[in-house]
Amino acid sequence: MNEPRHEAIDPASPERRGFLVLVIGVLASLNALIMGIPFVRSLFGAARQRKAKWSKVGEVNSLPENGPVELKFRLLTEDAYHYEEALYSVWVIKYATDKVTVFSPICPHLGCHFIWDPKISRFACPCHASVYSIDGKVLYGPAPRSLDTLPAKIENGTLYVQWERFKPGTPEKITV
Amino acid sequence: MLARIREWIETRWPLSPLVRLAIEEEIPGGAKFAYSLGSAVLIVFALQAVSGIMQLFFYVPTTDHAYNSLSYLRTRVPFGWLIHGLHYWGAQLMIILVLLHIARVFLWGAYKKPRELTWLAGFALFLITMGFSFTGGPLHWDQRGYWVGEVSTSIAGTVPIAGDFTKRLLRGGEEMGQLALSRLFTVHTAVLPAVLLILFGIHITAMRRFGSVGPWVEEKRKPGGPFWPDQVFKDAITGTTVSLLLIALAVFLPPGYSGMADPLDVSYIPKPEWNFLFLYQSLKYFPGHLEPVGTVGIPTVLALFFILLPFLDRNPERNPLKRPFVMLCAVVLAVVVVAVSVVGYMSPGFARAPAEAVGSSSTTGLAPAVVIGNAMMARSSEAAGPLSGDAVSASPQSTFSNLRHSSPESGQGEPGLAAHIVGSAERGAELFRKNCSPCHGPEGVTKVPNQGSAEGKVPDLNPIDRELFSTDAQTFAEKIDPFIQHGSVPPGSHPAIRMPVFGDNNALTQQEIANLEAHILHLNGVDRAQIVEPGMRPRSFFLLAVVVYAVIILILGGLWNKRSRLKE
Repeated sequence: MNEPRHEAIDPASPERRGFLVLVIGVLASLNALIMGIPFVRSLFGAARQRKAKWSKVGEVNSLPENGPVELKFRLLTEDAYHYEEALYSVWVIKYATDKVTVFSPICPHLGCHFIWDPKISRFACPCHASVYSIDGKVLYGPAPRSLDTLPAKIENGTLYVQWERFKPGTPEKITV
Repeated sequence: MLARIREWIETRWPLSPLVRLAIEEEIPGGAKFAYSLGSAVLIVFALQAVSGIMQLFFYVPTTDHAYNSLSYLRTRVPFGWLIHGLHYWGAQLMIILVLLHIARVFLWGAYKKPRELTWLAGFALFLITMGFSFTGGPLHWDQRGYWVGEVSTSIAGTVPIAGDFTKRLLRGGEEMGQLALSRLFTVHTAVLPAVLLILFGIHITAMRRFGSVGPWVEEKRKPGGPFWPDQVFKDAITGTTVSLLLIALAVFLPPGYSGMADPLDVSYIPKPEWNFLFLYQSLKYFPGHLEPVGTVGIPTVLALFFILLPFLDRNPERNPLKRPFVMLCAVVLAVVVVAVSVVGYMSPGFARAPAEAVGSSSTTGLAPAVVIGNAMMARSSEAAGPLSGDAVSASPQSTFSNLRHSSPESGQGEPGLAAHIVGSAERGAELFRKNCSPCHGPEGVTKVPNQGSAEGKVPDLNPIDRELFSTDAQTFAEKIDPFIQHGSVPPGSHPAIRMPVFGDNNALTQQEIANLEAHILHLNGVDRAQIVEPGMRPRSFFLLAVVVYAVIILILGGLWNKRSRLKE
């Protein structure tokens, strides 16, 4: 590593001692960091880009036109290394055979499942009493944004939906 | 300020005495790299502990998810490849370093009075290391780990009197199943570490009590040198070398994938880790009623040799040249162990399980159906169903049944579990030859005609239809999986050959289908085990590490030169 000048330095000199301690400190830190940084990094995980997947939700013709209806569908969900089919639900409002709105059933406030209250013809969240109009606008309560719509398409009379989740509690709709 | 904090602690806790105990020692003859081996073991152990804990954040010890959780760590967690690679190679290096450390201590005669207890605790630590190796392999719950675990616990079962009891204790029952995995996991991550720490405490305090032995030649013992910082400086260099070596191994020789554990696949020929090859091979020399000689006798004799050594060899002479008998014993022992291990390494495996002789209900069962299909028309899925069905229903395989979709006319159905298992392309090649080649041709290039189908021949798998291809291994596997799971009818008026069902009827296990898919991906230039989230590409990481180390070492070298010049 360097030219032998040891004859110039007494093995027990404080300079030599100090230098050895410095090398020990630097190498030990370096070894700890070169592995420690990746180790810690692993705990933050990766930002996942989810593949868009269309789920068949139902036949548009069979939907009522007089109000929102909750539709359930099965989806193979991916939770790290668990792949399981789970039952999901969405709120569907049919305006015409080729025009529907699909709401995620999760309240944008803090993530509870809201319900449709037919008596007042409004969506209401039982957790913190946010109330939304049929088109998703916040009418009362702490909700920071309108209900979250989900991507939907109609093909040959069949409704397909892309399941997504959004960050609760923020004024903007942010996909997670 | 710092001095005051130190003072504060000092009056309440024995800081100085402990630091002195840890670092204050005069080494006769001064520091040497040869003495770094023990420290290297300690450094690798620390790394094993940390990387082991890191793995615990991701790994689950359940038979249905252990393998997938590990694959997930290795391919989808940033730097997961590094964490697992370091732990895997650290385990191998650990054993080598422990053996070298033992050899060094033996050569120096450091086991002699008054250091017997250091030696005994050290030998116990060696056994613990072997215990880590024994319990660590099956935790992968891959083919290799599973079968090695199966066979090695069976070996324990052949021990007279205590055998059956021991096997049950190791497995938590008769079968190599969930209880066995939980048990191996608990021993590996809780019991052994605790025992190791206690033994390490005894080992290191006993060692400090009398210090290093130093050179055996009296003239070389003066002048001595301090442990701190001289020996630690050498240890730091050794530790840095070891770190870089392990990173290099993790980058350039990542551990292979042998496919998810498949209790039904009897064609797998298990072989133990290299450090158990000696015991494995020596078993073969003792057939039948003499087997206990191999299972109990040899290990006991070996252990007794190490335990009794400091008490039998009481001559205080430490110069290896002046104690020829004990050196000869050691050399003979080492040669025998190495030679037997090499023979074990070269041997083809357990004689009882050649794939052809025993046959696998799941792998060979379907071949006739495919051949018939080739000639006239594919037999429907029932052809292989009953054959393998019985075997399957009673096995752990039934855990897969909840996710099976039946979709008769397909390629259209949902992917099954196999699509999410990182299979072994190597194992898949064998399955491909048996099950797929008759129609799709060897290497997936086909000339087999298929009258009545739109294409007129069986589709090529190499290269595969661009619609099915993806550079993303997971997507690729999900696309081809439905064809293998549910079979498929090629487009056309009246195709003579149809793709048979392999998954829905359990003709192949999900593990086997995963292996097949890995092979088909491999034929198309896609690695099923591709690292999706590397954090940093392994090679780039290695390059970065080398550059950082080089720069730091150059700076340190420069500093030293500058100081030397100032001195002059």
